[in-house]
Amino acid sequence: MVEPVVEVEGLARTFKIGRAFSRRSARNIEVVKGIDFTVGRGELFGLLGPNGAGKTTTIKMLITLLVPTRGTARVLGHDVVTEHHQVRRKVGYVFGGDRGLYERLSGLDNLRYFAELHGVPPREAKRRIGELLELVDLTGREKRRVEGYSRGMRQRLHIARGLLHQPEVLFLDEPSIGIDPVGARELRATVKHLVQNGTTVFLTTHYMFEADELCDRLAVITDGSIVAMGTPDDLKKRVSNGTVVEVDIFGMPDAVPDKLRDEADVRSVSVEVRGQSHVLTVHAASGTDITSKVVEHLDGCSIGRLITREPTLEDAYVELVNAR
Amino acid sequence: MLSVSWWLQLKARSRSTFDGVLTLIYPMFFSTTIFMMYSQGHASSSAMVATAIGASTMSIWSSVSTTAAMSMQAERRMGTLELLVLAPRPLALLLVPLIMSMATIGVYSMIVTLLWARYVFGIVIHIADPLSFLVSLVVLVLSIAILGVVIAAASVRYRGAWALGSTLEMPVWLICGFLVAISDLPSWVRPLSWALAPTWGMSAIRAASDGRSPWADLAICVGVGAVYAVIGSLLTQRIVHAARVHATLGLT
Amino acid sequence: MNSLRIFFLGGLTSYRALFNWLSPWILIPAFLFTPLFQILLFVYIGRDAGVSDDSFFLIGNSIVNAAVPCLFAMGNTIGGERTAGTLPLLISSPAKRLPLFLGRALPAVANGFLVAVFALAAGALVLRAPIPAATWGGLALAIAVSSISCTGLGLLNAAIALRVRETAVFSNILFGLIVVFAGVNVPIGEMPAWMGVVAKCLPLTNGIQASHVLAAGGSIRDIGGSLAAELVVGGSYALLGIALLRWLEWESRRKATLDTA
Repeated sequence: MVEPVVEVEGLARTFKIGRAFSRRSARNIEVVKGIDFTVGRGELFGLLGPNGAGKTTTIKMLITLLVPTRGTARVLGHDVVTEHHQVRRKVGYVFGGDRGLYERLSGLDNLRYFAELHGVPPREAKRRIGELLELVDLTGREKRRVEGYSRGMRQRLHIARGLLHQPEVLFLDEPSIGIDPVGARELRATVKHLVQNGTTVFLTTHYMFEADELCDRLAVITDGSIVAMGTPDDLKKRVSNGTVVEVDIFGMPDAVPDKLRDEADVRSVSVEVRGQSHVLTVHAASGTDITSKVVEHLDGCSIGRLITREPTLEDAYVELVNAR
Repeated sequence: MLSVSWWLQLKARSRSTFDGVLTLIYPMFFSTTIFMMYSQGHASSSAMVATAIGASTMSIWSSVSTTAAMSMQAERRMGTLELLVLAPRPLALLLVPLIMSMATIGVYSMIVTLLWARYVFGIVIHIADPLSFLVSLVVLVLSIAILGVVIAAASVRYRGAWALGSTLEMPVWLICGFLVAISDLPSWVRPLSWALAPTWGMSAIRAASDGRSPWADLAICVGVGAVYAVIGSLLTQRIVHAARVHATLGLT
Repeated sequence: MNSLRIFFLGGLTSYRALFNWLSPWILIPAFLFTPLFQILLFVYIGRDAGVSDDSFFLIGNSIVNAAVPCLFAMGNTIGGERTAGTLPLLISSPAKRLPLFLGRALPAVANGFLVAVFALAAGALVLRAPIPAATWGGLALAIAVSSISCTGLGLLNAAIALRVRETAVFSNILFGLIVVFAGVNVPIGEMPAWMGVVAKCLPLTNGIQASHVLAAGGSIRDIGGSLAAELVVGGSYALLGIALLRWLEWESRRKATLDTA
């Protein structure tokens, strides 16, 4: 049994939305609705979900930035509410985007400052900073002001910053947002390297392929609840005994998706608009001849490509997220 | 376009309650302490009236000077500065209504200060010739606005120019004779005062409230102001060009 | 040990990182020209109104300009965390809050001290109202204490800046209040009684009074009481500020207020 490093039970968080002085329009929104999961030591755990699903809120509760409204969470054995001091000493936090660094300071000064904040002794800080700059490939550029850094460089600096105090758990909140493919690939390599060296990593993302490539285990969260949990393969299996039919249609009548949903054997139907055409994706149980049913419903429409294929993790995700 | 622009800018500025409150209130701190000083010195009522007029017009300049440069900084931060420069009208023309809206808010502040003077310090203002007073006020506001345009133009090119506006706040109060007669200042300052259009506007306002003729002063004010307008317009063009060369339009 | 480093080095780093005025184009006008002009303005008004003498306005307006960095720099160096987006990182770090925030006060105090001393010296030169060398020691002390005390108010201002966006507005209003009430241009004795009460609650009032006593030939012993009072006023504001900071952090964990305000 792997030692649990993050244990979450019934974790929930409600926010009050609305203007401060008008009580009538103030509402409560439950962004995280009671989730449970465990992360073992040395694992790379992913929380996958669309925007607004509650990923960032979950991470903020684990990092001690937010207090849960219900439920408990323990990180490295410490309760995130009552023992937040201890938690802060042992975890690292990295988030994507442009902010979170002092623009007018150099990369090096930023790292030095955060090293102080995390209590890294000065001599060790110097050594660590050197190592980390190498790790994230910023050596030689650390003396420049952050205001001149590209998005990718900032992200890498963030990672270096998160690792200064050698945390046992690293929380990464959508780290590859806005990064170009090459940069994102390097980021993923760095993360894998960290996990190989024993750091536990908790990652949130809405990029399926990233979750598929990196994570040992995943949880899919949508609308505040976890709808599936397991290894990427487990999740793929949930839809792998099935087929996916993908059709490009020019001028699809609005009623077609609903009619298809009514068919037996059809698990989910989604439509995407791409340029001039609609792309209709139908997930169905395997062994059924869904293709002919689809073509039947599309009688009279101008059809472009039609593909029948095995489900991917993305399909699993879409299905999980769209199932109500 | 000028009037529409002015009205929209005015609305935009009035929306930010905090900024509006500050523009109204800040000069009042200074006017209050100044009124108290004159009270302490047992100034005559006519001297108090002159002070009240001077102190209240101070706020027009405050409003323009402090916000002229900051407005460009705000546009830069919002990312709209580049859009302004790209507009087909010359930037100077776009800046005028912007500054005018600030000057208008300064006029609100002036009225508040006069009310404050009346009800807290008991200073009753009698304007001998209201019409010429009003005309003088308008000309003064315009002359202040032109200075403001020059400052705003400078901050298109120089990111740090917002400090320029704040720095010039008090020197102009002093040198343009808002509070202290120019004759009381060292003689070498006087040419500087004469070169600044608001000095003549201020002098015209005093003349109008005393019942003397302001027209000579107004004529000079308009003349000097026109020179500024020309300088301002040329300057803006060169500055925008320089900003494009040195890439300072987009930096925050 | 780490707390000391956070206090001194961290404080200085935050000051450099977040105090937006640190370019010479801003520092020189804001801290050298403006105070000097303010002194000149009030000296001339004072002459015109026939009150006090030049040195009264010189002292009052020099010291009051220490308030500018003390208030604005504090607003920037704590409120600026919000703009930089670094608040989540500060809160989720184990760093002790007291040295973290107090450390930023130290550069502000030094800044305020230097501004006031420069204004006093330059003003004395320009107005040809020299200050005897013997009084400089006492004056420096009075100015230092005044800066410390005003930075205490700055700390409260800074805490408010974490929640309310318009930190510059508050700083300006506080500065205005001090100009009117703290006996800068009108002696406390000449003010209505209620204004005197307000004056006692503001920083710089006692420091300015102490400086007047020194200029009139008093000794450091004479101003001990005033300086102590000054520290009490400033210290109270500082405590309020720290308490507010702690409360804001607590509230943010419950209501997610800090990131998004």
